[in-house]
Amino acid sequence: VKNRNPDPETGRVNLFDPEVAADPHPVYAVLRSQCPVARSTFFDAPVVSRYEDVVWGLRHPELFSSEMEKQMALGTERPMIPQQIDPPAQTRYRRLLDPHFSRRRMEELAPAIRSQANELIDRFEARGECEFDSEFAVPLPCGAFLSLLGLPLSDLGAFLEIKDDIIRPGRRKGAAILPIPEATAIRAEAGRRIYRYFEEVIDDRIASPRGDLLSSLVHAEIDGEKLSRSEILDICFLLLIAGLDTVTATLGCNIAYLAAHPEQRQRLVRDPSLIPGAVEELLRWETPVTGVPRIAKQDLTLHGVEIEKGSIVTFLLGAANLDDGHFSEADRVDFARERNIHLAFGAGPHRCLGSHLARMELRVALEEWHKRIPDYAIKPGETPRYSLGIREVMYLPLVWGANA
Amino acid sequence: MRVRVDHARCVGHGRCYVLAPDVFADDERGHCVLRVDPVPEALRDQARLGRDNCPENAISLEGDPR
Repeated sequence: VKNRNPDPETGRVNLFDPEVAADPHPVYAVLRSQCPVARSTFFDAPVVSRYEDVVWGLRHPELFSSEMEKQMALGTERPMIPQQIDPPAQTRYRRLLDPHFSRRRMEELAPAIRSQANELIDRFEARGECEFDSEFAVPLPCGAFLSLLGLPLSDLGAFLEIKDDIIRPGRRKGAAILPIPEATAIRAEAGRRIYRYFEEVIDDRIASPRGDLLSSLVHAEIDGEKLSRSEILDICFLLLIAGLDTVTATLGCNIAYLAAHPEQRQRLVRDPSLIPGAVEELLRWETPVTGVPRIAKQDLTLHGVEIEKGSIVTFLLGAANLDDGHFSEADRVDFARERNIHLAFGAGPHRCLGSHLARMELRVALEEWHKRIPDYAIKPGETPRYSLGIREVMYLPLVWGANA
Repeated sequence: MRVRVDHARCVGHGRCYVLAPDVFADDERGHCVLRVDPVPEALRDQARLGRDNCPENAISLEGDPR
C-alpha cells in the first residue's frame, strides 16, 4: 500500500516527491483543507499553505526571519544581500537596488531579450523540434542576466555550471538529490568560483566603469558610504542564484501547459494582447517557485499546531495561489482574470527583487515564441520531467510543423 | 472618489501602475505614486482595478460604493 502524501492524519507531507513536482495541485488541496500547518518530511518542519496564512507570514519578518544563511548552506560565506537579511538593514539595500530593477529599467532591456529569443529560435525552428529546457528556457534568462550585469555572453557556459552546482548539486553528474555532505562540498566549491569570478569583475569596473549594474554597485553609496567589496559580492551571489533558475522554470512550466492545452494557446496566438494576463495567470497556476522558507523567531500556534522557535517554516506559495477562499474559480485558468493577486513573487518586504525582470522576460518570450512557432505539441510518447523543489521542466521535448 | 495609498504597505509589486496607468505611476524605486486624486468619473474603473490587484492591500478608495 502506497503511503498517503500528504497524510491528513499525521499532517506529514513529502514535497520532494517527483509526482508532486509534476502535479502539485492535489497535494496543495489536501494541505489547505485538512492540514493547513503540515509537517515537511524533508525539513521535519512546518508547512503553511492557506493564502491568508502565507501572506501574513511573509509580511511579518519579525516573526518569520529570512536570516537563514547557515541553514540554507548554499555555498555562501556570508548572507546573500538582500534576501537573507531582515529589515531594517534589508530596507537600506532595497532602496539602493530597487531602482535598478524597476519596471521602467527592465523594459529598456526588452529589445535585447527579444533579439536573444529570436536567435535561439533561429537555431532549431527549421528542425521542427527542440528540447525546450536546454535550447530555450535555460539560455534565455542566462543571457538576460549577463546583459543586465554587463558581462560577456561567452561566460554563459560557466554560469550555468555554477548555478547548477549550487541549486541542484549532483545534476551535472546525473543525480536527482545528493546526501547533504556531498551537496555541501559541491556548493562550497561553486560558491568559491562565484566569489573569484566577481572579484575580478569588480576590479575591472573599479578601474574602468561602464553603464552596467556592476559599475553602479561599485560606485553606489548608502547614507554616504560606499558598499564594501563583500557587500557587492553578496549582492552578485544572490543575483546569480535567484535570477536564472526561476525564469527558466517558469518558461518551461508555461510552455508545457500551453503545449498540453491547445485551445488556450490558440487564444494567445489569435490575440497577443492576452499575453501579459497569461503571464500572471500561469504564474498563479504553475507557481514554479513552490514555496519560500523562513525561520520562526518565537514559539507560536497556528490552527492549533505549535510552531517552535528556530524551525524552518515553508510558506507554500503554490498552494496559496490556488486557494478558493481567496480566488474566485481558483481551479480555472483564465488569462483575462480581473483580480489576480497571486503570491508567485512572494509578498511583504522581500517581494522578489527581479519580479519586473521576470515578467518582461516571460512576456517577450511568449510573444516571440508564438509569432515564430504558434502550433506545437509535446513529442508523442514522451513525458515532460519536472525537477524537485523549484519546478523546472528539465525535459520538455516539443514538435511542430510536419513533425506535429 | 478619493484614492489613498498606504506607503508603509507598498513594496513595489507594480500591479497598480501597469493595470491602471492613468491613476497610478511609479517612483524611482518602482513604488506607487498617485497621478490623480480625486479620481475623475472616467477613471473610476481603472482605480478599482488597481486597488483590487494590489497584493499588499495598500490601496483604498474613499467614497466607492463597490
